[in-house]
Amino acid sequence: MYKDFKGNKVYLSTGGLNLVNDKETLCFVHGAGQNHYSFTQQIRYFVSQGYNVVAPDFPGHGFSEGYQTTSIEEDMLWLSELLAFLKIEKATFIGHSQGCLTILELAEKKPELVMGLVFVAGAMSIPVNDFLIDTSINNPEKAYDLMVTWGQDIYGSFSISDWPGHNHLAEGNAVMKMNDPSVLSTDLKSCNLYENGKQAASTININCLAVLAKFDMMTPLKKGLQMVENIKQCDYKILECGHFLPIEQPKELNALIKNYLNSLK
Amino acid sequence: MSEKYKFDTMSLHSGHVPDKETGSRAVPIYQTTSYVFKDTDEAAALYNMEVGGHLYTRISNPTIATLEQRLASLDGGVSCVACSSGMAAMHLVVTAICSSGDHIVASNKMYGANINLLQHTMTRFGIETTFVNPNNLEEIEKAIKPNTKLVFGEVIGNPGLDVMNVPEVAKICKKKNVPLAIDATFNTPYLMKPITYGANIVIHSLTKWIGGHGIAIGGAIINGGNFDWGNKEKFPTISGSHFALNGISFWEEFGPSALTAKIRAEGMYNFGPSLSPNNAFYILQGIETLSLRMKKHIENTKMMLEFLKENEAVSWLRHPDLQDHPDHKIAKKILPLGSGSIIVFGIKGGRDAGKAFIENVKLSSHLANVGDAKTLLIHPGSTTHSHLSSEAMKMSGLTDDLIRLSVGLEDIEDIKIDFEKGFKAAAKILSKRS
Repeated sequence: MYKDFKGNKVYLSTGGLNLVNDKETLCFVHGAGQNHYSFTQQIRYFVSQGYNVVAPDFPGHGFSEGYQTTSIEEDMLWLSELLAFLKIEKATFIGHSQGCLTILELAEKKPELVMGLVFVAGAMSIPVNDFLIDTSINNPEKAYDLMVTWGQDIYGSFSISDWPGHNHLAEGNAVMKMNDPSVLSTDLKSCNLYENGKQAASTININCLAVLAKFDMMTPLKKGLQMVENIKQCDYKILECGHFLPIEQPKELNALIKNYLNSLK
Repeated sequence: MSEKYKFDTMSLHSGHVPDKETGSRAVPIYQTTSYVFKDTDEAAALYNMEVGGHLYTRISNPTIATLEQRLASLDGGVSCVACSSGMAAMHLVVTAICSSGDHIVASNKMYGANINLLQHTMTRFGIETTFVNPNNLEEIEKAIKPNTKLVFGEVIGNPGLDVMNVPEVAKICKKKNVPLAIDATFNTPYLMKPITYGANIVIHSLTKWIGGHGIAIGGAIINGGNFDWGNKEKFPTISGSHFALNGISFWEEFGPSALTAKIRAEGMYNFGPSLSPNNAFYILQGIETLSLRMKKHIENTKMMLEFLKENEAVSWLRHPDLQDHPDHKIAKKILPLGSGSIIVFGIKGGRDAGKAFIENVKLSSHLANVGDAKTLLIHPGSTTHSHLSSEAMKMSGLTDDLIRLSVGLEDIEDIKIDFEKGFKAAAKILSKRS
């Protein structure tokens, strides 16, 4: 659905349904250069499981208008204001990649909003190499190509997918092309600049879940495990896939999130 | 990390890795109508298209999905739906996008059944088509109206062998915000990938070169994922509310794959033109050798063109690789590896000579198909169009001396010898007359 928020048209996927006050809310936070389509196989699944689902396209991403935020701190503020605007007082946040940095920051600065946290292919910091940042500035389409290739494990090369007929490499590219060409470089710079992850992780006092990918080349497994160690109570699971875990192993991810949500009840 | 494999590798591997349970290297044939659900949760998720998977073979099947994923990767599309025939594919595209009151712009030089579908069948359902010269860019642009929902053409027209200037037509379509659907049967992704030239939808008859063996009918729609369906007023079937699935918008939920999601959820569900898993398997076997076969098709076509050019029995010869073909320049640009293996030529002596030729070749098969590994021929004047006068045939873009040749993979010298026999018989008709 579209909302007029802070003077701009903002899109949030709710799985096609209106938000209902008495349901628990799950908020999916996408990664760099992505939009709500990162969670195509999660959004409607969890709507059917009885949750309110909100998966916003951050400003300039997907269908959302507006000036892009340029830091993780700004992402966090924008998200918390959006939730206030939607009258959502508390939610479980599921972040992917850069989205994990955003929800780490939210957990420290706005803990009152947080019911639960799921980090998907996340880490406390996501340094980005200069080559990828330069490419994202000078030749965004090449950068999309690099990211989808690095981001999926070998099954992506063979278009292996549970979705009948889907070619995830091309689809990943098409999703990134939906954004303004400047979006990816701005996101990557935001990731690169963010230094508060370790501090934010250390303040988390609730049970969390981290779902990490064995063959992740964007946020390597080692860095994901460091994040787990820095959070007081963080269960974790490692799936045999690449960085784009929500599309590579959707059913496994959904089952893990579902179990985690049940554990919060 | 994944790899960006090249065409030949993808032809063999895309969509399949050895089966985890059995280690089967070949793609298994899942000859089943339906699939046992793990629990009610999974069943509901599959019915609602919340997650991927299979629930009933009319909608999807693992063997067919392998074929679809292979075709999507070969053509550079985001997703694919395979179906029972090329005509079913075209019907699925039209009905996914258009409703009564909508309008299509289509090439007037397409395969007859394509024209029939648009000119006679779809008009009964309130969908009108304006037919245009596929290479008259001005005419195409002028024909696009506010209610135009689709522009449709063939890379290489059948049987006229006109070559559509796909990159330029795609620019017009983009400017007018109308999707461009291209039938790429005659070129296959080995010779040309329309999506890379800006087309949005690719349609194949898999029965032809892609299968290549003449044993299985099939079709496919490849979605480029490069069209913005967001205008709800213009494309309500894709971006408006769907009648099922909680009234979702395919565009909002599936984005680049919205069109194929719509086709699967409505077209496959409600019309049911499903491919059989066995035919999907046969077609996959064909794809494994697609590039090898296409190279030989093109090589044999070149030699056949030389042979026919020099032959006294031939009155005219048409192929886009020939310099005198009106679309030679565009063919060279978009089909640099060759413009397919169909040759059209005229035989001296008209309709009777054509008939004699056809009846006296033995190795070349006289039948209504193209793109088989075997050389195929048809003489419309004595078969498909025998009921028409010469004048009426001309109006259909055909002449009564026209022979359509689909060059096969045999040793070309044997085909030449076979043709000489046919030409000899045709010459007798000609000499009797003179």
